[in-house]
Amino acid sequence: MTSMAHPDMALWFRVQAFLVREARLQDDQDLSEWLSLFTDDLRYWMPVITNRVGRDRGKEISPFGAVAHFDDDKTSLSNRVKRLQTGMAWAETPPSRTRHLIGNVEILNVHPDGELEVRSTFLVYRSHLEYDHEIFSGYRLDFLRPHEDQWKIRRRDIVFDQSVVTQKNLGLFF
Amino acid sequence: MRSHFEHLLDMKWGDLDRSIFSDPQIFELELERIFARCWLLLGHESMLPKPNDFFTTYMGRDPVIVTRKADGTIGCFLNMCRHRGNRVCRADAGNARAFSCSFHGWTFGNDGRLTNVPGYKEIYLEKLDLAAHSLVPVAKIDSYRGLLFATFDNNAPSLSDFLGDMAWYLDMVLDRRDGGIEFLPGVHKWLVHTNWKFPVDNFIGDSYHGPVSHKSAWVSGFEGMPRRKSGYGYEGFQVNPGGGHGFGTRWAENRDQVFEMSLPEFLDYEKGRLDESIQRLGKLRGLHFSPMHGSIFPNVSLLWQGSAIRVWHPKGPKLTEAWGWCFLDKAAPDDYKREKALHMLQRHGTSGTWEADDVDNWVQCHSASEGYVARRYPQNLEMGLGDEIDDPRSIHPDIRGRLGKFQSEINQRAFYQRWAELMDDVSTPAVPDMSRKACQGESV
Repeated sequence: MTSMAHPDMALWFRVQAFLVREARLQDDQDLSEWLSLFTDDLRYWMPVITNRVGRDRGKEISPFGAVAHFDDDKTSLSNRVKRLQTGMAWAETPPSRTRHLIGNVEILNVHPDGELEVRSTFLVYRSHLEYDHEIFSGYRLDFLRPHEDQWKIRRRDIVFDQSVVTQKNLGLFF
Repeated sequence: MRSHFEHLLDMKWGDLDRSIFSDPQIFELELERIFARCWLLLGHESMLPKPNDFFTTYMGRDPVIVTRKADGTIGCFLNMCRHRGNRVCRADAGNARAFSCSFHGWTFGNDGRLTNVPGYKEIYLEKLDLAAHSLVPVAKIDSYRGLLFATFDNNAPSLSDFLGDMAWYLDMVLDRRDGGIEFLPGVHKWLVHTNWKFPVDNFIGDSYHGPVSHKSAWVSGFEGMPRRKSGYGYEGFQVNPGGGHGFGTRWAENRDQVFEMSLPEFLDYEKGRLDESIQRLGKLRGLHFSPMHGSIFPNVSLLWQGSAIRVWHPKGPKLTEAWGWCFLDKAAPDDYKREKALHMLQRHGTSGTWEADDVDNWVQCHSASEGYVARRYPQNLEMGLGDEIDDPRSIHPDIRGRLGKFQSEINQRAFYQRWAELMDDVSTPAVPDMSRKACQGESV
């Protein structure tokens, strides 16, 4: 594992562009194309956050295997997309209008096999029907596996900032 | 005074006045007459494995701390400093012997006792009655096969009487295998902009909405059971054990029909556990009944096959905080538990492929209750009215309670009737005026 104290600008630029395009595919509802950015052995996980104090501070993020907001593989993530595309997913009929703003992109590690460990923050705005409007914030840790001259996302950990989800659902993707 | 609320539910027609979902005064009365009186679910004993473990939750709108005291018994107290009312615990869970108020430093043991008051000698001149300023305890706390309940009402019936025959039916979850159930660690918490009664109504008896509400999930790989495709006609009942509780169940004649209701990934497990369940529960509860959904009065809901258990915390007439856990047979192998947990997480809860569509429906139904004209038109709860099973014992001699057809709103009607009974009961308030003046019998 090589520590990238000074990641090269070109790599950072390409990763940034990859994540921005991914965000656009979500905002444009191009979810089939979006799915193609993930590997078949994907782990897509969003733990639950709890308020902890004192010695228990370290337990703020729930461990893998406990109750989670998302605990998906490629099949279940694809099925979620399939559901949205049935035209009968009533909570997304008509679909939400979203803006995924991705920032603070950092390449934390370049593994010997070329896999990148990338952290980024997100701020997602969602407007639905007449009055529903919500902001979702958090960060993601992505493991990007080289694929052709781009990458595929092998693993995405999403750390959401809220302990009680104040939005009506997490029926969108991050 | 009696007879006001019972008129909001017209049992001749199955009409329900929509104002019960939107009227702020009715909501306030619910806090007094429903939530301060009833046994409310706190969680499961498995959430407090060690001495001094605690978690916080709500009873009605009141925040409470649930602790396993040093002696191993479980206590439950208002999360409120007796001085100014500050929360003495800001954590969702943890391990602590004492809770110290962040305002002035009053400190309470996890048995509720006030153990330290800064300036007790110099400022209060040792006059402050420490014993009278403990954290406010619940009136009663008890558990049923691991499910922890408490009530603020000293006059409440025992938990066993409160649950009545529902407890016997809950055994289909809690006692079908040796060791009962455990909760997967963690809880989904989210806000729903609807009245708390909409989700309870949905879970207690609405087998009707699935083929429409959840069709997108069922056709996309998130099925609940394979025999869904038979539409509205499949065999089963809405069971009403009384007390405002209820559930909907499928009916299986024999083992093969039980297995037909299993998703392929769970079939081996179902085959392995069925004989044990029949042996523990008898044929009615172990073989014939395969429950799907239900509610425990007032605000707990369950999905048997979905492995989900919920509390709907009332936050206001149009705001509810949903808490969702995943329960699993303790004796099940780890790979089954993992598969079952994923089944639950991907269908029910914050990102649930079933959940989202339910929530939007409840939100819209609620908002209809706010329109003046809309409120002139009652909700319709007439399904199955006058069409109950005359003699449930002819279906099976062990059946307890009333029985409606599988598509019937018998349970919703019984829920609102129980609600109205309690709302019309103006006898003793569950929690009287606790000012010292009132407690000493002075006129207030």
